[in-house]
Amino acid sequence: MTSTLKGITLKGSAELVAEFFSFGINSILYQRGIYPPETFSRVTHYDMSLQLTTDPKLKNYLTNVVSQLKEWLFECTVQKLVLVITCLETNEVLERWQFDIECDKSAKESSAPREKSIKTIQDEIRSVIRQITATVTFLPLLETPCAFDLLVYTDKDLVVPDKWEESGPQTIDQSEEVRLRSFTTSIHKVNSMVAYKRTDSV
Amino acid sequence: MAEGGDVEWELSKENIQPLRRGRAISALHQALSQQQDAINQQRQAFESELRMYDGDDPLDVWDRYIKWTEQTFPQGGKESNLATLLERVVTRFTEEKKYHSDPRYVDLWNKFAENCPEPLDIYRYMQAQGIGVTQASFYIAWSEEYENQGNYRKADQVYQEGFKKCAQPHDKLLQFHKALQARVSRQVMMNVEEDNSDDEPKQPERVCLADLRHKGKKKAIAPVSRTGSAIRSISGGLQSGGVPVLGNTSNRQLVIFDESIAESAGPSERKMESWMAPPTSRAKENEQRPEKWCDVKMPQKTKFGHTVMAPPPPKPTFQPFVEESDQPPTMTPCKINPAVNTVLSALKPCREETPLKRLQEHHQQQKEAESGKLQEQSMYCKELLLSGATEFCFEELRAERHFKKMAQESQEIRGQKDQASASN
Repeated sequence: MTSTLKGITLKGSAELVAEFFSFGINSILYQRGIYPPETFSRVTHYDMSLQLTTDPKLKNYLTNVVSQLKEWLFECTVQKLVLVITCLETNEVLERWQFDIECDKSAKESSAPREKSIKTIQDEIRSVIRQITATVTFLPLLETPCAFDLLVYTDKDLVVPDKWEESGPQTIDQSEEVRLRSFTTSIHKVNSMVAYKRTDSV
Repeated sequence: MAEGGDVEWELSKENIQPLRRGRAISALHQALSQQQDAINQQRQAFESELRMYDGDDPLDVWDRYIKWTEQTFPQGGKESNLATLLERVVTRFTEEKKYHSDPRYVDLWNKFAENCPEPLDIYRYMQAQGIGVTQASFYIAWSEEYENQGNYRKADQVYQEGFKKCAQPHDKLLQFHKALQARVSRQVMMNVEEDNSDDEPKQPERVCLADLRHKGKKKAIAPVSRTGSAIRSISGGLQSGGVPVLGNTSNRQLVIFDESIAESAGPSERKMESWMAPPTSRAKENEQRPEKWCDVKMPQKTKFGHTVMAPPPPKPTFQPFVEESDQPPTMTPCKINPAVNTVLSALKPCREETPLKRLQEHHQQQKEAESGKLQEQSMYCKELLLSGATEFCFEELRAERHFKKMAQESQEIRGQKDQASASN
């Protein structure tokens, strides 16, 4: 019992991180208005209220991605997750949310749990999501209908699963980049960053 | 941690107004770290650039200045002077036809309108003046205002007007029009799902809120902001009716032609001077020379031909109406009399008047100035001193010119030296 409270294993870490991505992506989609707000419902998690989509197709898609991600996290083969927001009509990339994942690969060999309580990790995750919410203060208004896309950067030798395809990095030229907070489960460390089109002023 | 600097914006996120175009994170950091000196210096630089600029695109300086202000004062507020700046730039170039379809100028107008209590009036004024009528952004901003007030039909009409005028860029207009239609149809769908009768209880509520009485001298602003955006159009009408009459009359610039005065003065003038020369062709019947009127006395003749002064008029049995502003202040200079007090309070409505009114007044004044009717003429460079958000003094201007000259001279000297060394 003490081990589940105080320590964290690779499996638990992968689950925690995958869960963070599920909530994080939902938050971004809600905050940036990619989907209409009435298709979201409020849930309480990490001691804060979060918005989760109720759109069945989107839900299905996200579950697929997150479960696949969990696998890769468990294998420590994933490097980055990127959420790209593009203009629906021109396909221009307007915003790019990048989550760099650093895996401690030594955790694969030794299965001994690491010393970090789940509460501290959740506190860290909470502050990241809070910060994502707070970014509306400086991000430009998305004036056009937008679509989103998820990119996952993995180790090179990985076989691309069905329904996944390879793509370019989809970067924004002339972008403004803001680093957000990071969190670590002591096995996976996630650094967050958002890039957006630079304002044409000053 | 390395992200220590990033926490700054998060700590004051409630004090950052979101901008349509977003914010540059570096400017945000600078603004939040409160480097007042640097900010003041930059502002001073912009202010002097406004005055010293002599190129052919003066709007550029204004545009940059206002964008800088937006980025540097994320919390908005009074010290940013944004509202003043917008009003200044907008009034300054109203006459310049070349800017009327300049996207920058139209954007500034749109921002100005958003800052006004009655944006719709501004948009209508813009249309009447022909400012931005070929720009898609104008119609988008106008329509969004209607949409905010819940008037979807008008919002759509504005887009139709834009299409009629072939506003550019056409794609953008089309796209925003589509988005509006999508929003409206979704709204309709949701309303059908909910209830149709929810409109009815709202109606009496509006009247209630708009009808709130106010106590004391202060103008009641509370009901306007309390009713919310959807009811603004209704409360607007009531508000203008509620403005004290005093304010309206003192602001009026109309000169009413009084037939009786002109006629009675006409013959007396003719009697005094004989026809030395034929009247000039531009002489009009009722024209009179400017002269002092307050102590002119009409010579009166008795039956016997003696000229006597008119007897002092008997004290009138009624209280004559005296214009408040005409009250001579020399009457009781040692005491604070109520007359002075009312004069001071009469100024108040001036400040409360809407920006649009000021704009129209300015426009009218300019027209008068063009036709040479304006009575006042400032014999100093008033334009330059007052053009920005802050006032300049003569010395500042002089210093600016001096430094410019110095810089030029030193450059010339350097140029000569270079030439000299080149010839060697």
